[in-house]
Amino acid sequence: MSRSRALAPVVAFVVLAVVVAVLPSFVSAFRAQQLAYVAIYLVALLGLNILTGYTGQISLGHGAFMAIGGYTTAILMTDHGVKDVWTIPLAGLVAGIVGFLFGIPALRLSGLYLALATFAVAVSMPAVIKRFEGFTGGGGGINLFGVPELTASLTPVTVLGRELTFNDWIYYLCWTIALVGYVVAWLLVRGRTGRAFRAVRDSESAAQSAGVSLASYKTLAFGVSAAYAGVAGSLFAIATTFVNPDTFPVALSILLLVGVVVGGLGSLAGLIAGAVFIQFLPIWSQEVSKSPGAPAVVSGVVLIALMFVLPMGFAGLVDRLRALTKR
Amino acid sequence: MSRKIAFALSALVLTFATGVTAAFAGPTRGSTDPGVTSTSILLGTTSPLSGVASAYASVARGADAYFKYVNGRGGVNGRKILDTIVDDAYNPALTVQATRQLVEQDKVFAVFNGLGTEQNLAVRDYLNAQKVPQLFAASGATAFGSETAKYPYTIGLQPSYQAEGWVLGKYLARTQGATKVAVLFQNDDYGADLLNGFKKGIERSRVRIAAAQPYEVTASDVQAQIAKLRSSGANVFAVFATPKFAIQAYVYANKLGWKPKLSLTNAVSSASNVMQLASEGGTNKVVEGSVSIVFLKDPTDPSWKNDAAMRLYRSIMKRYAPSANVDDVYHVYGMAAAWTAVEALRRAGKDLTRDGLVKVVANMNFTGNPFLLPGIGLRTGPGDHFPIEQMVLQRWHKGTWKSFGGIWGYRTA
Amino acid sequence: MADFMQQVVAGLASGSIYASLALALVLIHRATGVINFAQGEMATFSTYIAWTLTTNHGWNYWPAFAATLVVSFVGGAAIHQGIIRPNEKGSVLRVVIVTIGLLLALNGLVTLIWSGEVRAVPSPFPTRTIEIAGVAISIQDIGTIGVVLATVVVLWLLFQYTRIGLAMRAAAVNPAEARLVGVRVAWMLSLGWGLAAVLGAISGMLAAPSLFLDPNLMAALLIYAFAAAVLGGIDSPLGAVVGGLTLGVGLNLIGTYVDFVGADLRLPVALLVILVVLLVKPSGIFGKTEVKRV
Repeated sequence: MSRSRALAPVVAFVVLAVVVAVLPSFVSAFRAQQLAYVAIYLVALLGLNILTGYTGQISLGHGAFMAIGGYTTAILMTDHGVKDVWTIPLAGLVAGIVGFLFGIPALRLSGLYLALATFAVAVSMPAVIKRFEGFTGGGGGINLFGVPELTASLTPVTVLGRELTFNDWIYYLCWTIALVGYVVAWLLVRGRTGRAFRAVRDSESAAQSAGVSLASYKTLAFGVSAAYAGVAGSLFAIATTFVNPDTFPVALSILLLVGVVVGGLGSLAGLIAGAVFIQFLPIWSQEVSKSPGAPAVVSGVVLIALMFVLPMGFAGLVDRLRALTKR
Repeated sequence: MSRKIAFALSALVLTFATGVTAAFAGPTRGSTDPGVTSTSILLGTTSPLSGVASAYASVARGADAYFKYVNGRGGVNGRKILDTIVDDAYNPALTVQATRQLVEQDKVFAVFNGLGTEQNLAVRDYLNAQKVPQLFAASGATAFGSETAKYPYTIGLQPSYQAEGWVLGKYLARTQGATKVAVLFQNDDYGADLLNGFKKGIERSRVRIAAAQPYEVTASDVQAQIAKLRSSGANVFAVFATPKFAIQAYVYANKLGWKPKLSLTNAVSSASNVMQLASEGGTNKVVEGSVSIVFLKDPTDPSWKNDAAMRLYRSIMKRYAPSANVDDVYHVYGMAAAWTAVEALRRAGKDLTRDGLVKVVANMNFTGNPFLLPGIGLRTGPGDHFPIEQMVLQRWHKGTWKSFGGIWGYRTA
Repeated sequence: MADFMQQVVAGLASGSIYASLALALVLIHRATGVINFAQGEMATFSTYIAWTLTTNHGWNYWPAFAATLVVSFVGGAAIHQGIIRPNEKGSVLRVVIVTIGLLLALNGLVTLIWSGEVRAVPSPFPTRTIEIAGVAISIQDIGTIGVVLATVVVLWLLFQYTRIGLAMRAAAVNPAEARLVGVRVAWMLSLGWGLAAVLGAISGMLAAPSLFLDPNLMAALLIYAFAAAVLGGIDSPLGAVVGGLTLGVGLNLIGTYVDFVGADLRLPVALLVILVVLLVKPSGIFGKTEVKRV
């Protein structure tokens, strides 16, 4: 591989990091907060991409892992006085363990059956959360606004000599974690693990005969992707300052899968576009019409149209552009 | 060719999304508080335009139509009222984001008529911290009328669900003697509030709850629950459910041949079109004689056929929301809320500030809201942010509601 | 004892409705190998068409019913030809995304056109109840079970004894070889979608009279229908019925007699059923075990 080709992704990443760092100076605080949610979705998509894009396992249930992460954070903050930032890795760990455990029986399922099983998990999660009310606050949920463990909700916080209000604080928090997660994912799929993942996706029997342990890589993929979703859920809880069973509905799981496919499976760059898409689609569709039901129609039509126009997602677009510039 | 289209499409998407072009701090408004100019007042509403609760989107629609009507007649103190409605799909996380958009991007003067209990709870702390009025939250959860010291900017509107349950319970206790009640209730704060209020109402009386069956909002049907309630041997049936499930409950009870001597219906499901469906063309004996509470004028109730307010309601709907269903009582609720908002804004004066408005709504004593039943007023005071605390009992007889017994009151404390 | 039997009867009634939607899911899977997440919304849309014909246009029940079935068939086939087919060549995920887009669009469309209010739909069966040994049984429910069983028989006859049925099965199982023997695969798949849409419409028309019509009528049923289909065997129409009835009765009895479950956990229990079946015997009660070719 020529040196310029090897450097290209690194340069692109540095450019991205710089853009992320200076963007808040150019946009309103509110827009910064919206972009923070883009980062949150990006974290979740990074994980889901490893599962679906690289090992080919379809999950319609990653909203449930986000819920686990979000509630872990909320409970640790309100019941155990843990500062919000420290709950993030814990949330990822808890979700990751649950994901790994789920990955074990999931080994026996494939394709649409796995999609169905994970869909089932996503649908049942709100009911389960509600049932264990004493633990989770039930339907009323857990409020985090103004809780001392939550940074910057009432007064600005000082970071590296700069005073940040809540919107800017969550922007930097979420994007820092997203960029770190990006690098980790990149390293993961670059090396031997990534090759193994791809082998599993392309042909399970071939991979097996080549000595790739299917079981360990598939469950690893589940665990890692769930951990990412857990971190995303934790950030979601912090940014939204409120969790309840309805904040992690089935629609969220569906939205995540949409984001990965629209972004472009197996490509990290397209995922940013996917995250932007799923954050802003509900908002844009309201601009078209506010009649009850209309935003959903617009979203559905856009989704179907996208599969026609960009079947390989935005990543496919990037590939085509790259092919164009190479000539 | 398709490649070019795809490229253009996604470039457009990404540019728009990063909003680099959209950086702005909002135009400077005339007065001191955001959302107020010399010619307009900007309000913001979160409403479930999509998803499971889209039936309640009519509340925001009715209010919006009323504001347009008032604007057509010159507005309030020379200012037109503009209400920005944002979809939150009944998801509290989206309510948080939408509310932040209203406050930080659209710079509304006040948040008004937000729909849903969880949805309003999710943004209550934020709005109070930002000192933005949370006006007339469309939820009867007890939380919105109490804790006024902690949340001075939050005001409810409709009678609390607890009050509703209490009135029904008290009515039963006073008029029916020793009875056994079977209750169907929705398994969330809404249903639990109604049940708790009901229990308080039947305290120290000879009324007992023989069975209470919950159901989930995600349930497909409540057949199993009705079967269980019937076997409890109760002679009164209380339905604390949202419309679809209330209708199912009545129809199943009838199917199973259960003949309670009385049934009670909660306000949300007492809308005439709901009762009509439940009564199965008049054949359903369980529905006949059902007692409920009401505080709004129902558009399908023939007693209001020639009522001036209802005629006004219809003409406003025809002009400003022609494609909407006029018979939907949630529109009336929206208009009642909008009327209250207009009255409050008027009294807050030309020199309009958020604190000034809050002062007015925290010490309200309004009468004459044409969409409420005659005699029902809007009153708030220290420790009590529930404007409507009166309701009237009504009985379903041969296809219509008939009020009886005068006005009942309830004080939160 | 009468209470127990009443719960069983109620369970059979709910279960037959799960079974009717499960039949549509089974048909789509058997004929096209796809799980259609928009099946419920398509059924809801069809039911609204029937409602508007009978209520707003004053049609009689049976002509409205027939018209609805025709429209559903055409609609289902058109959706396949226009939206699904161009995406079939890609990964299975593309089809999943497209059916999700369809789910969103149809759900929104229903609310947009007809609003979220609850509606009543007439039933082809009398709404009387008969009482046997203290247990009330509704004639409507008996009729529903009857229609469901009749549908199973018709499907079985279709697949086992007709050329079209054979062609459909061939197109689903091995499209390449089917083409070689002259089967017009694309048309068979569209036919499958059209028939599934018809079954969905029938399901909606059976469910709506007792569950009442609103935009979320079928969404609430979808998971139970999936559970029923998986339990009975996702390729077996008879399995869908057995699965549905078993699920209906089972959920009712567990919900009534196991306090921990109560009302709140009925849905998760249904899902647990899906998970357990998929893990222990993925082909369900009546299904044949799939052999993967290397």
